[in-house]
This record gives sequence, structure tokens and C-alpha cells, in this order.
Amino acid sequence: MSGAAGLDVRYPIGGLFVVLGLILAGYGVATGNDAGLYARSSGVNVNLWWGAVMLAFGLVMAFLAARSQGGTAHPAESTPEGRATEAREHDAGLEREGRGGR
Amino acid sequence: MPIAQLTSVDYAVMAVYFAVVLGIGWALRRMMRTSTDFFLSGRSLPPWVTGLAFLSANLGAQEVIGMGASGAKYGIATSHFYWVGAIPAMVFVGLFMMPFYYGSRARSVPEYLKLRFDEKTRTLNAVSFAAMTVFSSGVSMYAMGKLLNLLLGWDFDTSVLAAAGVVLAYVLLGGLTSAIYNEVLQFFMIVFGFAPLVWIGLRSVGGWDGLTARLTEAAAARGLPAGAYTHAWQGLGSPATNPIGVEWFGLVMGLGFVLSFGYWCTDFLVVQRAMAADSMTAARRTPLIAAVPKMFFPFLVILPGMIALVLGADAGADGAAGAGQGIIPPKFDAGGAPLLDAGGRVVLDYDLATPMMLVRLFPSGMLGLGLTALIASFMSGMAGNVTAFNTVWTYDIYQAHIRRGASDAHYLWMGRAATVGGILLSVAAAYVASAFNNIMDFLQLVFAFVNAPLFATFALGMFWRRTTGHGAFWGLVSGTLAAALHHGLTLAVGAVPGVKGGYFGVLHRYPSELAQTFWTAIAAFLTCLAVTTLVSLATRPRAEAELAGLVYSLTPRPRDEVRSWAQRPAAFAAVVLALTLALNFVFF
Repeated sequence: MSGAAGLDVRYPIGGLFVVLGLILAGYGVATGNDAGLYARSSGVNVNLWWGAVMLAFGLVMAFLAARSQGGTAHPAESTPEGRATEAREHDAGLEREGRGGR
Repeated sequence: MPIAQLTSVDYAVMAVYFAVVLGIGWALRRMMRTSTDFFLSGRSLPPWVTGLAFLSANLGAQEVIGMGASGAKYGIATSHFYWVGAIPAMVFVGLFMMPFYYGSRARSVPEYLKLRFDEKTRTLNAVSFAAMTVFSSGVSMYAMGKLLNLLLGWDFDTSVLAAAGVVLAYVLLGGLTSAIYNEVLQFFMIVFGFAPLVWIGLRSVGGWDGLTARLTEAAAARGLPAGAYTHAWQGLGSPATNPIGVEWFGLVMGLGFVLSFGYWCTDFLVVQRAMAADSMTAARRTPLIAAVPKMFFPFLVILPGMIALVLGADAGADGAAGAGQGIIPPKFDAGGAPLLDAGGRVVLDYDLATPMMLVRLFPSGMLGLGLTALIASFMSGMAGNVTAFNTVWTYDIYQAHIRRGASDAHYLWMGRAATVGGILLSVAAAYVASAFNNIMDFLQLVFAFVNAPLFATFALGMFWRRTTGHGAFWGLVSGTLAAALHHGLTLAVGAVPGVKGGYFGVLHRYPSELAQTFWTAIAAFLTCLAVTTLVSLATRPRAEAELAGLVYSLTPRPRDEVRSWAQRPAAFAAVVLALTLALNFVFF
């Protein structure tokens, strides 16, 4: 596969938000009794609640990535219009070296 | 003395984010084989990815900090930048202009001008665009260094160099794909970092009703009608009854039509994201998909500013000194005393509205997340500019004028070198900005003049086959001059002649700076339209056969291969416009 096909961007997004969600929710649990800390956020343990939301979002992203195969990206050559565009570029000498095998 | 103290959990959040950012560049490093991979992501990305990147590339400091500042200054009427400005323009570029950008073999917006018009029009656009990207990325870095220094006491040099180093690393490793993937990541960081700010902020002021009640007092204190901060359209009958100081015609024409269409439809920074899409349909859907989150962004970026204006207003402690300014600190002069305007009122540092909200409302943990989102927005602006710069430099300046016909590997190498060069120039611009603030104001003005007439050139080029290269070139030049002339002959009430205008003498006074900006753009647009038309009629047109694929009437209509309404650009666009109209009515 060429281009960006090798990496589904939903994996890093999912991973980031799972880790951040765990850090924040964990910190929220640990500081749950610290009323002084949460006075500024009008009494809401925003670390715990928002951490949980981020964790859920991260899991959904990772799940969507795992369910679809082949990544988020596919090269332009796989559609008729994309092939036409690339062919025009090739003919005009704008793209000198094709990808391997072309 | 820093305003906020970070704890280890805040640093942990930042560290995780930066690890993922660099990890994306690292994972993509082996996939950059041709210059098309590097500059256009091999035209291989699905529309939701390019759509979010389209949005995020523009989501720099200008958006998050600037729109918060405008929210505090102008209230909900700031949403005109979205609901009158950006959305209609994004729909237009997706439906009507993308077929020419993506369908012609152009690899950049200046290259489209070369194909449609001639080399001199392309070079004019490419050079001004390249200079502008370096400059805006430098200003973004400068603002970030200054803000982190103020909030956290971080060293200016370290912040700027570290941010530049991170952007350099991931763009160099993974090219446009890496920039786009990181922009998608940044989009989610910004949403997740600022949404809780609005949630907690609204809770602190008693919800939307509480906010409305407090803003009514703030409006009264400034001599404006009761609903001036919470209604977008009601006061637009006259400049005196709305905080923007502009009437509806100037706003709709100047902001909605000329400035927004000029930016969203012709700026390669955003158009490049759509060009990376995997098909024509996906390229056309890119700005349309971006329009959906864009229409709700006012709630994310404008509301914090509005809340900052009234937060703590009834607290008593700082009530005496801070009535009507909420948590927004005043600007200070060199001696450390608060600046006063001509009327003796304290001048507020509106750019601190959103950062102060973060610091005041978020406990440790969330504070780290909010600041990371802020830094992400600065870096997103920087990376967007650098990837647009390296492409325009390599294709439109280097390949066109310095070295033609080299191998693709050579241009790929040049793109990497231009990335390093672009970042070095940005850092230099950041230091120039910190040393000579006036130079930056002046440059910003020049770029505004260059940009104002652009949409006239593109609209005529795409929709009137008779337009010629000479017409386009002289239209652009005269439009820019008209903008400078108009700006030089007018002044906003309360401003002094100089960088704010009036340098050729003051013929007319506008009620506000924004009104002056909008009418300057209108003058530039109309001049460019007239001059391009006249010069085109006087010069020899190109053969119609050469213009197929470049001009509307000579290009077959794009046929969409897909079935469901959400995948058909026209149907999707209708839904986007209907929702935007509804939002305008809700906040009328």
C-alpha cells in the first residue's frame, strides 16, 4: 500500500483519548474529596466526569478503527477520477517518478 | 510572577499529547516516496479526515484566542464570522470551485492561476502567499511564547524553539499526511479542551439565562441596547446600536461576501487539505463536512469570551476596580499603570479572555488539558502554514523559476529543505514580532490589502471565459492599491492616523475599525472586478480549447458516483445552509 494507507488515524486518536481519559478520571477519583480543588469549577469534579467522557470517546474511535480494515486512506488510483487526475499529472511530466511498480 | 501553577498531572497530560504527535510523524516516515505523497498526501485521504483538517488548519491562535477576544468585545454577534462569513463561503468552494482546483491538474492554488491565466499572475500570488504563511506562522509562535510566559512563567525562547522543533519533526517525517493527521488530532484536542470550559463557565454564571442577564448590565454600562451582546442581528440597523459598530450592509457585503469568500475559496492553506482527498466527490465534500462542526464553533470559542466578561462581576472583592470587565485584565503601559482610552475607560487585554477562563475555572488535571489544547491550536496554525509554504515554494517558485525539469526526488528533497527553511523563517518572524510590534502591524495591513481583491480574480477566472491573464494581473494590482488608498483616506472614530489608516488624510470616519476593514475590502473587490473586466475586454482571450477543465462553462458538470444524500455534495450543502439559517434565527 502506498501513500497514507498504512496508518488509520483513528488509532492514534483513540489511543490518545483513552490514555488522557484514564489519567484525568484516575486523578479525579484520587482527588474526589478535595472540595477546595473543585471550588473553582463550581463544585463539579470535572476531572472525573470529563475524563470518563474522553475515555469513552477514545474507545469508540479505537473500536471504529478496528472494525474497518485497510485504514482510513486509499490511494487516488483506486477511483476513476483519481486515476484520471494522476494520469494527467504523469502525462504533463509533473510527477516524474511513479510509485514502485508503475 | 506566573498566573497559574502546573502540577505533575498537568505535565503528564502534555507529555502524552506530544508523544502521540511525534509518534504519528514517526509512523508515517516510510510512506513519503514521491513529491505527491509529501505535498498532497498522494491524494489518498477520506473526506472526513480532510474535512476536519480543513477546519483545523484554520484553527490557529487567531481562532481560539481571537474569537474569544471578539466574544468579549462584541458578544454573540461575533458569530457573523461563522454564520454569515465562513459557512456560505465553504459551501461555495465545495460546490462550485473545487471541481476546478481538484479537476485541473493544479497542485496548488497559484498553479491553478498559472493554468488559467499566466505565469505573472501565478508568481504574484505565490510570492505574496509564501511571505504571508511565514509571517502568520511567526506571529502564531510569538503569541504562544508570550502567552505561555505570562500564564506559566515559561521562557519565551524555550517555548518558541520547542514548538518549532516539534512541528518541524512531524512535518519533515510525514509530510502533508502527518500535518493533516495531527490537525485531526488537534481538532479533537481543542473540542475536548474547550467544551468543558463552556460547560463549567455557563454553570458558574447561572446558565444562558444568567449570562444574558449579566450581559444586559454590561451592555447598559456601554450605552448599548439591552440585548446587544446576546442577539446577533437585532442591533445591526445602525452602527450605534451594536457593539461591532457596523451596519448590516457593510457586514454582509464586506465580511460575508468579500473577506470570507476571499479567504475560504482562494487560500491555499485550507484548499490544500481538500486537494489531498481521494476523489473529486471527496474533495468537494471536504469543505462541506468541515462546515458542520464550524457552524457550532461559536459556542466553543466565542462563549468563553462572553462569559469572561461577566464572570465574578458580582463577587464584590474585585468588583470595585473591575466592574464591567469580568476576569479580563487591563492592558498596561510601559510604567505598569493600566492604559486608558480617550474616554478615560480602562483598555482591556481582550486576548487574555479565553486563557484567563482556563486558569480560573479548571482545576489541576483539566488545566493541563486546556493548556495542551491551546498549545495544540498554536501548533496547528504553524504546521498548516508551513505545509502550505513548502508546497507553494517548491512548485510555484522553485520549479517555476529556479530549477525546471528536475527529478521528482529532487523536488521531494526541496520540499523537505523548504520545510526547514519555512520554520527557520517563522522563528525569525517571531523574534521580529517581539522586537518591533509596529512592523508586524504594518505587514498585517499589507497582506490584508493583497488578499482583499483575490476573490474577484478567482470568480471572474472560473465563471467568465473571456477573462485574460493581463486582466487578472492588473486587477489584482489595482485592487491591492485601491485597498491601500481607501484605508489611507479613512479612519475609525477614536483612532489616530498611522497604521490604523488616515495616512493620506482623512476623508471619512467609520464608526469602528471593523467597519473600516469591511469597506476597505469592498473597495478592493469592486476595483479588481472593474479593472479585470475592462483589461480583459481590451486584451486577446485564450482559445477556448485551452480552458477546458478550468472555466465553468467549458467543463462538464461533475457527476457524483454515490447515492445517499449525505454523500451528494449538493444535497449535503442544502442541509448545511438550512441549519446555518436556523442558527441565525435562533440568535436573531
